[in-house]
Amino acid sequence: MSFDFGVIAGNWRFLLLQGLLGLGAFGGGTLALALPAIVLGFGVGILVALARLSRFQVLYYPASLYVQVIRGVPLVMVIFWFWFFIPIALGIALSQYGVALIAFVVFEAAYLGEIIRAGIQSVPRGQVEAGRATGLGYRAVMGDIVLPQALRNMLPSLVTQFIILVKDTSLASIVGYMDLTKAAQTVNQREIRPFELYLFIALVYWILTFGMSRLSRALERRLRPDQPVRALATDRIAGPARPPGGRET
Amino acid sequence: MTLLLALQYQFEWSVLWTAPYGRWLLQGIVTTLEISALAWLLAAALGGLFGAFRTMSGLGPRGLAAAYVEFFRNVPLLVWMFFWYFGVPQVLPATAQDWLNRHGGEFVAAVVALGVYHGARLAEVVRAGIQSVPPTQLEAALSTGLTVGQAYRRVLVPIAVRLIVPPLTNESLNLLKNSSLALTISVTEVTFMTRQIEAYTAKGFEAITAGTLIYLGLCLVVAAVMSRVERRLAIPGLVVRTEGAEH
Amino acid sequence: MRTHARKGSAAVLALSILLAGVVPAWAETTLEKVARTGSFVIGTRTGSPPFGFIDKNNQWGGFSVDLAKLVHAGIEKKLGKPVKFELKESTPTTRIPLLTSGAVDLIAGTMTITRARRESLDFSVVFFVTGAQFLVKKGSPIRGLRDIGGKRIGAQQGSTNEKVIREKHPQAQLVVFPDQPAAFTALAQGKIDAYTNDGVQLAGLKAKAPNPAEWDVVGEFYTYEPYGMAMRKNDSDFRNLVDFAMMEAIEGGEYQKLYDKWFGPRGEVPYPLSESALIFLQMQVIPR
Repeated sequence: MSFDFGVIAGNWRFLLLQGLLGLGAFGGGTLALALPAIVLGFGVGILVALARLSRFQVLYYPASLYVQVIRGVPLVMVIFWFWFFIPIALGIALSQYGVALIAFVVFEAAYLGEIIRAGIQSVPRGQVEAGRATGLGYRAVMGDIVLPQALRNMLPSLVTQFIILVKDTSLASIVGYMDLTKAAQTVNQREIRPFELYLFIALVYWILTFGMSRLSRALERRLRPDQPVRALATDRIAGPARPPGGRET
Repeated sequence: MTLLLALQYQFEWSVLWTAPYGRWLLQGIVTTLEISALAWLLAAALGGLFGAFRTMSGLGPRGLAAAYVEFFRNVPLLVWMFFWYFGVPQVLPATAQDWLNRHGGEFVAAVVALGVYHGARLAEVVRAGIQSVPPTQLEAALSTGLTVGQAYRRVLVPIAVRLIVPPLTNESLNLLKNSSLALTISVTEVTFMTRQIEAYTAKGFEAITAGTLIYLGLCLVVAAVMSRVERRLAIPGLVVRTEGAEH
Repeated sequence: MRTHARKGSAAVLALSILLAGVVPAWAETTLEKVARTGSFVIGTRTGSPPFGFIDKNNQWGGFSVDLAKLVHAGIEKKLGKPVKFELKESTPTTRIPLLTSGAVDLIAGTMTITRARRESLDFSVVFFVTGAQFLVKKGSPIRGLRDIGGKRIGAQQGSTNEKVIREKHPQAQLVVFPDQPAAFTALAQGKIDAYTNDGVQLAGLKAKAPNPAEWDVVGEFYTYEPYGMAMRKNDSDFRNLVDFAMMEAIEGGEYQKLYDKWFGPRGEVPYPLSESALIFLQMQVIPR
């Protein structure tokens, strides 16, 4: 049994600058992938949620099928789909970054969409009707009344999912994207110090995700200073007193 | 688009059942089920233990459980795979390393990585389940003349178990899907086998389609079994079924 | 409903623009693509010293990368303008999709030319000749192909020697890794008894290991592995350009200089060029 944390001292720059931030000859970077994936995934997620709540069957059924299929397969599989399907189907040249980003957006949007849908459904129906009654259109009711309240309700689940997304970006290393995980593998190949290296990046990921959860708590408090936020259930359990959730409309 | 597809790619679905590829897929399914089942048992044990710890009043068990949960679930599973497979043996005694090397260390590492990671996530499910049983239930049970032990056995635990089943289903599905990451440490599970078939036949499209359908099928079976369990246990009006968003 | 119909037609329009933008890309040759994008993208290895690897200073380079630079010079000359030289990682399982999708324009790593691969790709002339051997810890009982029965033999997924061991030597216990770094770490930790790959790559791993004296490359070549650069099929102008760059390098002495830099007595991985390999390389150079 022997430890040599000198391997961290000698390579932390490469691991953090190249692997985490993507600054260096190899491009890449965990954050360079995670941040756009969060923004795009959220945008697509809203569309998915609206389609899932839509009364038009042409929107509802495809969106539901998409959500069910994605949630039934591992992310690795989805990455491999895009690895093979996009070039064959569309003939577009995609870099590792492109493949990974599209795969993450498509994958996470299914999960984010369900969170957003639940958030929208958590806004009492009377609000929509009241908005309609005052003569507002769909867009105004959604954009000005429903979504802001829904956002507040879904924030905890949303942040949890963003944290998961950050962790999931490690899978981009499988197709050769130079993220934090890949950087550790690269250094490990010549140093053969897996214990120290993987423990180190575990800590880096932990600081990143823990920081995110702290940030979200602060944000929740700011959004609703007077009362505690009702955590919207994703893997949480509703108390016995609550009535069954609304069906899809 | 179909035209483009036809131009560029020759489909050859038979690669999925001709020897030896069909056998590889079957072996892959068996391995996936084996790792998932063993990891699930480990995760359930760890999750039950640490989930209960987290609801205790003692600072020691609660702190230990919090540290376990927060550290293990906030780091990517892929990193844990590498950590358990490559990292941990480095600090084990030589005899233990030897034993692992001769007994499929990659399989053991995959089970431990999956089990410990999902154990941390299950601990949260268990904690939430225990905490969502209202304290008034205990008071009510005691006031009917039950002892504390009877109240737990007859009232509190049965309610908590029912509350835990839906999120447990989600976590079980997540575990099954996450077992695909074992391919990175050379466990020959389904995803590994689809890659292998692709490497041998250059028929990536077919291989990945097969892999996708296999996972969808396995998930449907698990979900169906769990929902039967849920229905059989159901107490009307008790549990609000919620969609799981995590994996 | 009206707005939905409008949205629908907008989507169709967007899709057709997308497809229209894409279809011409099919017919595009590699040279046209490089001229259009202004960048020549090479797929190479990060963990195969000294062909393509990341060194102690975290810099990317290697023999194959240097040879690709000669091709790059040829492209700039042909197009009459400077073009960016870009490297991307490719592994045995990722390199073919990378190439066929157009994400990279040339694979310059450690790819063996095989008849099966030539069904879907084109290859340059041979730029290196080697064969599969085994890398073991010094003092290992494994000395070659005869001794692998019942032993845990590591190989890379998608490599030629993995296939040979699986099909012709089932007495070995094959353990397949997604890439070379994982396999070498496993060997260093005793998870596998031997790692099989092309001899020159094993020599490279040994030379770059933290402690080279711990390792032995053993056994006769049990396969024949001629390395070539891979490119998309049916693009003979580009293939000529690559081939001519290699021929000129062999003919003009540039190849030998690079060989010395990487494999010479004072190079990164000392690995003398055999007389027969040299003659073979030279005989590939066809007259002007």
